Amino acid sequence: MFLEVKNVVKSFQQEQVVKDLSFGLEAHKTLSILGKSGCGKTTMLKILGGLVKPDSGHILLNGNLIDEQSPSDRHIVYLYQEDLLFPHLTIFENIAFGLRLKKMPREEVNAKVENMVHSLELEGQETKMPHQLSGGQRQRVSFGRAIITNPSLLLLDEPFGSLDTGTRQRMQELFKKLAAEFRITSLFVTHDLKEAILMGDEIAYMRSGQLTVYPDKEGFIRDPATGVQDEIAFWGELLPGSSNPL
Amino acid sequence: MRVNWKPFVLTLVVLLTLFPFVYLVLLSLASQWRFPALLPGYFGLDNWRTIWASEVGLVSSFLLSTLISLSVATVSTLSGFLISRSVAYHPRKRLLTLFTYFPYLLAPVVLAACLSYFFLKLGLFGNVTGVIVAQFMITFPYSLIFFSSFWSERTKSFEELVFTLGGTRRQAFVKVLLPLARGMLLICFFQTFLISWFEYGLTSIIGVGKVQTLTIKVFLFIKEANFYYGALSCCLLIFPPVVLLYLNKKYVFNKLV
Repeated sequence: MFLEVKNVVKSFQQEQVVKDLSFGLEAHKTLSILGKSGCGKTTMLKILGGLVKPDSGHILLNGNLIDEQSPSDRHIVYLYQEDLLFPHLTIFENIAFGLRLKKMPREEVNAKVENMVHSLELEGQETKMPHQLSGGQRQRVSFGRAIITNPSLLLLDEPFGSLDTGTRQRMQELFKKLAAEFRITSLFVTHDLKEAILMGDEIAYMRSGQLTVYPDKEGFIRDPATGVQDEIAFWGELLPGSSNPL
Repeated sequence: MRVNWKPFVLTLVVLLTLFPFVYLVLLSLASQWRFPALLPGYFGLDNWRTIWASEVGLVSSFLLSTLISLSVATVSTLSGFLISRSVAYHPRKRLLTLFTYFPYLLAPVVLAACLSYFFLKLGLFGNVTGVIVAQFMITFPYSLIFFSSFWSERTKSFEELVFTLGGTRRQAFVKVLLPLARGMLLICFFQTFLISWFEYGLTSIIGVGKVQTLTIKVFLFIKEANFYYGALSCCLLIFPPVVLLYLNKKYVFNKLV
C-alpha cells in the first residue's frame, strides 16, 4: 500500500472526532470519502496533511512513517473548498508558487507553469489577477498550483462545493483527466453522493468519526447506510416506469 | 421657482472646514496684530525665519517629534502585527483581548502618574527613550486590536496552504501574510504615528519638560499667549500628518477601494 493509516484517533476536549481510523490506498488511485457535515472528514484530512496532530496512531507514506514530519516535509498538499488563490499574485505566479518556494530555476518554472496552464485550459489568463477569473477558473488554478509541485498525496476537501452544477461537472471531468495525466494519488472528500461514486477508484463512507472502506462500488451502493438506496427509491417513485438498476 | 440650496450649503461647509487651516497659516505669517487693528502690523515670513533660530527650538522639536513618532509607529505596528497572531489563535483569546483595552480605561495623564514610579526606577524619566516606551504602551494595544480582524480562519488556511505546498513559517510570512496585510500595516502605521504625534498628557509627565515634542511646544506657546508662534508650530504639527494622509490615499485607500 502506498498510503497506510493505522488506528488514528483524535479528540477535541471530550468529543472523539476521529475514531480508530485505519485504511490503505494504492498509488495513483483516488479514494472518494462520502460523509455528512461534521462527521470528521476535514479533521482526518488535516491529520494526514500534518496540520492537526493525532492523539494516537500512525501514518505511513510509501513505507515511511511520517507521524513526526512537518506539513512542509510531507509532500502532501491539502486543497480547501475555497480556492484560496493569493490575491496579490497573478495567475502565473499563483501556479508557480510552490516551485518558487523550492527555489527552482526560473526557466524550469516558466516551462512547467506554461505546460500546466495548457493542461488547465487557461491559456491567455496568466497575467490576470485572481479576482478577474470565474469560480471554475479559480478552482482550476488552485488545482494547478497543487499538482505542479508533484505531491505524493493530494487531499481534496469538498473542492467543488461552492460551484454551480454545470461548472462542477466540468471540474469533475478535468480532475479525472489531470489525475490520469499526472498519476495523482488522492483522497477526495465530498458530501455529494453522485460525485463520490464518479470521482473515486475506491469509495468509503465516514460516519461519526468512523470510516468504512468498501471493497467495490457495488458494496457501497448496496449498503443502506450510504443513502444510495434511498436515492434510487426516490427517483423510482418519481419515474415509476423506469427499472431499478439494481 | 425653487432655489437649489445644495451648492451654497456645500460651499459654506467647505469654507468652514478650511477656515481654521487657512487662518493658522495667516496667523503664522502675522505679528503685532492688536485690537482694534483690522489687519496685522506686520505680515511676512519673519516668524518662519525664526524657526531656524536655536532659541525657539522649533526645528529641534519637529525633528524630535518625528523621531519619537516614527520609532513608536514602526515598533508598535510590527510588534502588534506579530503578537496579534499569537493572541488571535490563543485558546484564551477573549481574556487577552480584554487586557489590551486596559490602557484605555485610564486617561493618559492618570496612566502616566501610575507609571511614573516605575519609569523613575528604570531611569526612563525625563528622557526620549522613556517617552517612546510610554507612548508605545498606548499604541501597542491599539495595534493589537487593529490587527485582530486580520487573523481569521481564512488567513490561517492561507498559512496552512503554504506549509503543505512545502513552505516554511518564514516563507509564509514573507511571501503571503505580509503582502496580504500590506494595506492594514500602512494604515496602522499611519494611525499609531498620529497617536504618538499628537500625544500630550503622557509625554508631558514622563518627559517632565525635558523632552519637548512639537505638541508640548504648541501648548507652551499657547500658555505664553504667543499666538503667532503657536500658529507656526501648529502648521508644523499638521504638516507630517497631511503628508502621511496623502501617501495613504495614494498608495493604500485607492487600492483598497
